[in-house]
Amino acid sequence: MKIFSYLLVLQQVYCFAPIALTRRHCSQLNAEYDFDVAIIGCGVGGHGAALHARGQGLKTAVFSGRDVGGTCVNRGCVPSKALLAASGRVRDMKDASHLESLGINVEGEVTYDRQAVADHAKNLANTVKGNLENSLIGLDVSVIEGRGILAGPNKIKDDQSGKIYTAKNIILAPGSIPFVPPGVTVDEKTVYTSDGALNLDFVPEWVAIIGSGYIGLEFSDVYTALGSEVTFIEALPMLMPTFDREIAKQAERMLIRPRAIDYRLGVFASEVTPGEQGKKPCTIKMIDANTKEHVETIEVDAVMVATGRVPNTKDMGLESMNIETNRGFVAVDEKMRVKTSADGEVIDNLYCIGDANGVMMLAHAASAQGISAVENICGREHVVNHEAVPAACFTHPEIAMVGLTEEQAVERAEKEGWTLGKSQGNFRANSKALAEGEGAGIAKVLFNKETEKIVGVHIIGIHAADLIQECANAVEQGTTVRELSMMVHTHPTLCEVLDEAFKGAVGMSSH
Amino acid sequence: MPALSSTMKEGKLSEWLTSEGSPISSGDSIATIESDKADMDLEAFADGTLLKILVEEGETAKVGEPIAVILEEGEEEVELMKLIEGGGGTEPVVETQEPASSSSPPPVSASTEPQTPHTKVYMPALSSTMTSGKVVSWEVDESGTVGSGEPLLTVESDKADMEVEHLGDDGFLARICVEEGASCDVGEVVAVIVENEEDVAKWDGWMPGASVSAPSPSPASPAASKPAAAAKAPSASSPAPSGGRVIASPLAKKVAKDKNIDLSQVTGTGPEGRITVSDVEGFTAGSPPKKKSDTPPVSSWKPANGVVAATPMARALAKKSKIDLSTISGTGQFGRVTEADVKSALGESPKKKKVLPGVPAVELPSGFVKYSGMQSAVSTNMEATLTVPIFRVSSTIEMNSFNKLYASVKPNGVTLTVLISKAVSIAIQKHPIMNSRHDSNGGIYYNSDINIANAVALDGGLITPVMKNTNEKSLEELGEEWRDLVSKAREGKLKPDEFNSGTFAITNLGMFGVTAFDAILPPNTGTILALGATTEVIRPCEECVGGMRKVKEMTVTVTCDHRPIYGSDAAIFLKTLKEVMENPEKWGVK
Repeated sequence: MKIFSYLLVLQQVYCFAPIALTRRHCSQLNAEYDFDVAIIGCGVGGHGAALHARGQGLKTAVFSGRDVGGTCVNRGCVPSKALLAASGRVRDMKDASHLESLGINVEGEVTYDRQAVADHAKNLANTVKGNLENSLIGLDVSVIEGRGILAGPNKIKDDQSGKIYTAKNIILAPGSIPFVPPGVTVDEKTVYTSDGALNLDFVPEWVAIIGSGYIGLEFSDVYTALGSEVTFIEALPMLMPTFDREIAKQAERMLIRPRAIDYRLGVFASEVTPGEQGKKPCTIKMIDANTKEHVETIEVDAVMVATGRVPNTKDMGLESMNIETNRGFVAVDEKMRVKTSADGEVIDNLYCIGDANGVMMLAHAASAQGISAVENICGREHVVNHEAVPAACFTHPEIAMVGLTEEQAVERAEKEGWTLGKSQGNFRANSKALAEGEGAGIAKVLFNKETEKIVGVHIIGIHAADLIQECANAVEQGTTVRELSMMVHTHPTLCEVLDEAFKGAVGMSSH
Repeated sequence: MPALSSTMKEGKLSEWLTSEGSPISSGDSIATIESDKADMDLEAFADGTLLKILVEEGETAKVGEPIAVILEEGEEEVELMKLIEGGGGTEPVVETQEPASSSSPPPVSASTEPQTPHTKVYMPALSSTMTSGKVVSWEVDESGTVGSGEPLLTVESDKADMEVEHLGDDGFLARICVEEGASCDVGEVVAVIVENEEDVAKWDGWMPGASVSAPSPSPASPAASKPAAAAKAPSASSPAPSGGRVIASPLAKKVAKDKNIDLSQVTGTGPEGRITVSDVEGFTAGSPPKKKSDTPPVSSWKPANGVVAATPMARALAKKSKIDLSTISGTGQFGRVTEADVKSALGESPKKKKVLPGVPAVELPSGFVKYSGMQSAVSTNMEATLTVPIFRVSSTIEMNSFNKLYASVKPNGVTLTVLISKAVSIAIQKHPIMNSRHDSNGGIYYNSDINIANAVALDGGLITPVMKNTNEKSLEELGEEWRDLVSKAREGKLKPDEFNSGTFAITNLGMFGVTAFDAILPPNTGTILALGATTEVIRPCEECVGGMRKVKEMTVTVTCDHRPIYGSDAAIFLKTLKEVMENPEKWGVK
């Protein structure tokens, strides 16, 4: 599954321009246009752009396409966190030996109400969606219900009313939809993408997950906690192909091997036929990824398709501006300005952010790109440093990362002629982690030995997603491991795992 | 054991990720090592087979100590095993051994598998409940030709007789391992087919299981699963209980086929028990015989050809415990075999027992555990005693004087066992019949030596070290001999002559407070003496003040073979033994 694709950004990037104490609003309204900024799409990216645009005093409209909150809030990160939170507790409470080591006994069987867990996810999504919509209305953003369609320079058509709106600047933020490989029939009941999986219509005895990226991994965490057995089907010859290899190995040891999971590597699910719950299983035919020969057929209760996402850029009028996409992805420059094609011209006053440009398919990356686009609209040049954007996978325990994988770093160091340093902190040696009985995991800091700047950090262990921020900030600010090693970390906290790694990087001992 | 950090001195082997005999490729994780800082996977850096695990899970080894031996391709397993047993403890970690000198010819014996192109034929599972099958007839003779798709043999399963076809390439039936009329378990080798006629003779006398690496009936061996899977397909449509034919109307057959219903499961209501459409439809709509009630209705789904209907964990467990999945009936969705099914097939209880609040959980062992070599020997010996007519006689012996003697000789290294053995041998000298045994030639066999065998309980077994010529040796000599025997027994180093040359056996449970018991006679022995605990009792005593006295007593019971030894023999022997033990001053020892 493709998650990252980095823009080749400048090594030293712009941070926010020196902040003028009295930052001027950049209202540009003139009678010519209905809005200063119109945003197509109301996911996390569009929402972030809208809030920042209003903050700059720009007259702003958002075409929500009847999907305020977008994928993340309604069908992605947010409801999946609800499922992970509930199932994670089930897992904890069923882990008698772990509880016993803390002196706790759970008497009787730990049970859950599937529908109530599913409702928790649904309610959470609705709450977050409501908050998001209210914040737009509260800030006086015009929320237009229809889907926005480009109708030429500065023009957007509302597909619901047919009305044409004009805007000086247009930001495309249409997001993405799950990718379904050819041969796979999705009925969203027994064969489903993440969209259907979040409904948790039933807990299958055996579920196959096609793709072992973030989404597949998180759902394997949910399913195994609720009692399902999981089979991963991965086209590449390794599990979690986008992860740092060392982290992937650790993840395999913590999240795959001890659980009711097996896997097939190097195979395509060439034909997936939906079943009928309780009556007919789903059939998956697998072929070898290289030879294309049939290798195995399995019959499972449910199939989750987690093979990545494709841009939702069809039928949005891109042709009216002569924009050519690459498999649906809209090409942009580093300021998020749309280009007619990968090596085409920059189109003025047209921006594309989020999953649709494929630079980094993460909600917070989309939001950062939206803010950056608005900065550029206001004439303050800004470029997002994607190597400082952290990412996390919310399994138990979590995996988090920022910057390059070790494999990428080795390559980069060789190409650019610097020495790669590596230092590791261990959860096993951390008091807080041991207090929790969660000593498994590592934090790995990759840095340039000459400049002592961080090029990548990878953490697997309890609360990794909350630990990565310090590292992301350090990458963004260019803080060196030497500076970090002298910064005081709270004792006893999990942050000391990083403290150990920072200190180790400069030859100090932390304990 | 690798050093995983600069401070690591030793590592704990937390988990083996592969098992002995498993193939390994370079780069595979083979074990998880717990160091002082983190758990790490240990990777193999050579292809081969994991021959021997030297450090078990949970054990600790110093950095640099070998933890396993990997057999590289082309290496002689036997050579390497010798090396391991010879204490090759100083070799490096995942050590590899260069191929043994090719000049040594491959050992030719019945236990070696001839290296010729061949296919093994395994006993197929003809039904989901079939665990063993009987070979009704061989359709091809040994050294006869076998064509692909031709019937090879007929097998009687628990449900029906079925012809088994040869599925591989054309060849010659080199070896029939299971004769007509004989049975074997599903997955066992029943025959060997070779490609070339000249190889037939090489398989003469070969038997499966005799070779060093016995062919396992696990699903890992592809040939094993092939006939099973193939044989299943016809079973879905044709067989019927008790060898009869399924009689069904054509439409019923078609409907059954469309709905994937096994007609042999349907009860016919038509003429002569014929299955009608309504029978088939009734079967779908209504009540197929359910195996389990707490799951959603299990449909009569039959997995497609080649599909293994088992969950991932069921597969993994079956592979690990080398059990053939096709022999297990599934209770999961769509009749799928679940982990719990495999566990119950293995005799393990699927669920943890409920525990009363406040009572610590006790993990009770459950299920089948194979006898060790020693336990098997005990079992065989005990069964053999069932043909021996025996009787038992008991007597009570006053121990006051005996205990005084024991206290006096104990400092010289004389144990109670030795002292009693000595007393017994003195008594035997007066009644040699007690030292005899039944001879199958129809007579009494008198032993000229008095060799006393004393039963010693070992962890998971029992053995009877023998003190020889106890009547001729001093107590000190016997004491030393016994010490030596016991330490050898604990180390498992007793020679056969040191545990099976007894002429008279003694067993003692007195130390557990047992007042009296009788023992089973060991093979080739005429008598065994069982000793209870010494207890203090009050006995009437006319000369004593108050008319009674406190004495120490021990109850002994002899079990004798009634063919050479009679009840009066035993009774008189016990009387003598009593006299000897109650009057140790007469022994001639201090």
